Amino acid sequence: MQSAQSRRSFLAVLSSASVAGLIGARDSFTQEAPPETTTVRLAKNDGICIAPQYVADELLRAEGFTDVRYVKSTPAAVSDAMGRGEVDMSLHFAAPLITGIDAGAPITVVAGVHVGCFELFAHEGIRSIRDLKGTKVGVQGLGLAPHVFLASMAAYVGLDPVKDIDWVLSPSVRPKELFAEGKIDAFLGFPPEPQELRARNIGHVIVNSALDRPWSQNFCCMLAGNRNYVRNYPVATKRVLRAILKAADLCVTDPARVAQRMVDAGFTARYDYALQTLKEVPYGKWREYDPEDTIRFYALRLHQAGMIKVSPNKILADATDWRFLNELKRELKG
Amino acid sequence: MLVTIILALTLLASPTLAEAHDARHHTQEQRLPKIAPAPGFTLTSQDGAQVALADFRGKVVAVTFIYTSCADTCPVLTSMMAHVQDQLGHDFGVKVVFVSITVDPERDTPAVLKQYAQTFAADLAGWSFLTGDAVAIRDVTRQYGVFASKSANGDVDHTFLTSIIDRRGILRVQYLGVRFDPDEFRRDLLSLLQEP
Repeated sequence: MQSAQSRRSFLAVLSSASVAGLIGARDSFTQEAPPETTTVRLAKNDGICIAPQYVADELLRAEGFTDVRYVKSTPAAVSDAMGRGEVDMSLHFAAPLITGIDAGAPITVVAGVHVGCFELFAHEGIRSIRDLKGTKVGVQGLGLAPHVFLASMAAYVGLDPVKDIDWVLSPSVRPKELFAEGKIDAFLGFPPEPQELRARNIGHVIVNSALDRPWSQNFCCMLAGNRNYVRNYPVATKRVLRAILKAADLCVTDPARVAQRMVDAGFTARYDYALQTLKEVPYGKWREYDPEDTIRFYALRLHQAGMIKVSPNKILADATDWRFLNELKRELKG
Repeated sequence: MLVTIILALTLLASPTLAEAHDARHHTQEQRLPKIAPAPGFTLTSQDGAQVALADFRGKVVAVTFIYTSCADTCPVLTSMMAHVQDQLGHDFGVKVVFVSITVDPERDTPAVLKQYAQTFAADLAGWSFLTGDAVAIRDVTRQYGVFASKSANGDVDHTFLTSIIDRRGILRVQYLGVRFDPDEFRRDLLSLLQEP
């Protein structure tokens, strides 16, 4: 918010300056300036809640990017790939971004894009997060998005995620399948998993992050970039963010076409699950919530659970930059 | 007392004063950012005339992108703009103009656009519906950051973006989608009339 205020003051001070002079100001990420690089590499994986990223290619080209690449990566590896500079920018889940930053990955978070990706499924007898105490919860690996999110959820309700939950690690078999077979009691599903389980009428949802507070008030997916990319290419960064936000709007206004495009481009196989995801995930709320609140919220929970060492304030100070989003909130209404 | 009541009634009955108040409030609250010089264009109007963005210098311009056979969302946007047109009263056409550019130039000829304009009771003294050759349309959509792609069934998959350009030709704000607040949109247009 500080930087937004500074920019307002800056504009007010320069209101009498010539338009050309104002637009040429170097500390403004002006739209007419071409991107400093015409290449952007985004992550691609099985998760389809990052749909805006998958349909942003033409919008990115309209922003001046001639080389738009999707780098295959598991959701678990996005933070590492971004930190190593193999992925320039990507939508990614808030909690694993924080653990990646804590582990030293040079990542800068620039915006929250949508809430409501994940749903916590459980079998009969489990009605709340507290009921997870002593139960078997499946994850493909410790430190991956489902584990990190679930650990922060457990910490939020007073459980010790290390001692109170019996984590069942299943690197080769997806927890969704173990859950369907009754071998675990609960798991955190990400699209298209919840849509598939509901279609198969398996288990019940005890937390829907699109509906249940406080999860529904915090971003699930945020746009982040390699620190050097964001620092060296501020115009490109702003243009990537604008393309992603426009694509998020496309997900709201025309989910059927977005679903079809995702299938046609090979990002997912099932049109019906993709369409359901697009209708269920609230893609139009990027203006409503403060991404800083999200980082603080999850960082506090993870710090409390002993899963990160760096303080939430330090993460906010060193690994976030909301100037791009603050400018676009003023320039792109809706 | 009587003077106060008359003054209050006068204020309520006067859209010009009320709008001026709106605009002043808006200006005090937050001036619209100056994003960039608006991309220029020269296209063909519903009357077959050549129309350039530069022709509107000195007026506040709202530029949007539609196509006439769009059955679902474009009519929502055009209806909303027609509503704002009516609210702008005498300022419309004189100080504020609208430009709707088709993203389907193959089908949207000037005659088709004129019929579309009449359907929405667009006041053509202040509202231009523009078409052109496919390359020119593609260039202008791209320059304004609008994605448009024709599908096999003839529908056009496109993003909705309405841009407001000030009297000096500077792009000041863009509205995403079709369900934005028409009052905020009108206030933004009026706020630019208050600027020197």
